[in-house]
Amino acid sequence: MKRESLLAIMITTVGWIIIMLYLLPFIWMVGTSFKPIGEWGVPILLSQNPTLRNYAEVLITGGIYGVRGHFPPIIKYLINSLIVSICVAFLTSFLGAMTGYAILRHRVGGTGFANWILSLRMIPPVVVLYPLVVMTKTLALHDTLGGLILVYPLITIPIATWFMIGAFKSVPKETEEAALLDGCSEFQVFYKIALPQATTGLATTFIFTFLFSWSEFLIPLLLAPSERAMPLTVFAAYFSNQYGILWGPLSAAGVIISIPVIMLAVFIRKFIVRGLTMGFVR
Amino acid sequence: MIFQSFNPLIDIAPRFAGLRNFFVFISDSEAHYAIMIMLLLTAITTPIQLGLGILFGILLSSKYLHGKSILTSLFIIPMSIPSVIIGLNWKMIFFTKGPLNAFLESIGISPQPWLSTPFGNPFNTIFSLAILDIWQWTPLIALAVASGIESAPTDVRESASLDGASEIQILRYIVLPMVKSIIIIIFILRIIDSLKIFDIIYMLTFGGPGNVTTSLPFYIYKVGFTLTAANADLGYASLLAVTLLFIASMLIVFTLMRVFNVKKVLWE
Repeated sequence: MKRESLLAIMITTVGWIIIMLYLLPFIWMVGTSFKPIGEWGVPILLSQNPTLRNYAEVLITGGIYGVRGHFPPIIKYLINSLIVSICVAFLTSFLGAMTGYAILRHRVGGTGFANWILSLRMIPPVVVLYPLVVMTKTLALHDTLGGLILVYPLITIPIATWFMIGAFKSVPKETEEAALLDGCSEFQVFYKIALPQATTGLATTFIFTFLFSWSEFLIPLLLAPSERAMPLTVFAAYFSNQYGILWGPLSAAGVIISIPVIMLAVFIRKFIVRGLTMGFVR
Repeated sequence: MIFQSFNPLIDIAPRFAGLRNFFVFISDSEAHYAIMIMLLLTAITTPIQLGLGILFGILLSSKYLHGKSILTSLFIIPMSIPSVIIGLNWKMIFFTKGPLNAFLESIGISPQPWLSTPFGNPFNTIFSLAILDIWQWTPLIALAVASGIESAPTDVRESASLDGASEIQILRYIVLPMVKSIIIIIFILRIIDSLKIFDIIYMLTFGGPGNVTTSLPFYIYKVGFTLTAANADLGYASLLAVTLLFIASMLIVFTLMRVFNVKKVLWE
């Protein structure tokens, strides 16, 4: 017994040390975001006199320590990102639920169709970029939030569909058949019987698509080049390439961008491996 | 589009170019180099990710580990941060006067040029990019392995330990074969995903210095959308895109045919 408790202490310590070392870069970014000007490049983890000024300037006033126009406030881009991600999450969970249900219960498209949808997820997005640019320009959707909302589902729908297939699989078929016998239409069965029983799956799908569209970078880089629709990720990239040494405000921006996704990801921790490998590992 | 030539800075409309793009591709050493860099990145990152991931996964699933749920939550952090922010974060770490070099100096190693190539040797920048990708995606493999081990039946392990097998023997001969299929699948997925590495290149090195870290996706972006490359042309970019699509779809078809049986998953 004594040997076991010793082993437990050892393994737990080793595990925690590894995790802490592993997260050190991220912790460093959080630490830097609280440093006052002049200490950004100093290699110490925590500042002697921490400040919230970085956050205030990055979020609301903009500019670096009084110099206006240097670094615009990110609140506008934050709103862009939020609008796009929430709309995409709604749209994709809805479409994904319907597609998943159709594939599972009615075998729409036969066996190959589910595979086709899955293979969409693996295509490098850079391959389809030029057609997307041309299409959005022709439809006058270039550089608008609407354009982004219509293009993102290209990446998120496969995930949503496979998630919803998994969710509907646990719904018993018998209740649906009973509802059909009692005179429900197909759509009513889907809407009133199947969907309420798959709420957990639906919520997970929603959060997942939100995470994906929040982190998307390459597509908005080309489809939303001006500040009308530019999301946070592209904004952060631009400004780090221009003002690369202003680590304080940049770290604050980085922390602001990562905090919501980290919280959501931890919230759906149980599903995250399944979502990222999607259907492959059960 | 691959039979056309169109540079928006010069031309008004796309012109028909016949097979010219193909000849450009055959003699374009930069494109060949980009393909090589893409494959090299894959070859460096995936095996290391796999090795570390399995180790961490075994550690995470160990029954002696306390605070497992908190550890798992912390382990998710690298995966969930947008990779742009990861690039930003590591740019700060790799900075010439940054914390990593300060640390190296304090233990007596001279500072390394992480993001530049003073001796014309591109390996250190590629290595930095590989570190990023490994850092971000090792937790995925670890968590998958851990969940695989935890969902595997425990009675076999118990009977083996009753028969006098040591912990390491149990791991090697019982637990690892049980999660073998998960490991293979996730390995192939990582290979496919690492063909897509773009964000961290954009953030960390922007393909440079020179073009030493320009992998194929980034080269397509350069040729087609920034029009700064020597062969800037949308038709040529389309040809490169089709090449990338070809490489990727070979892997995808292999995955779907061999590893993954949709019938079994859906309608068994």
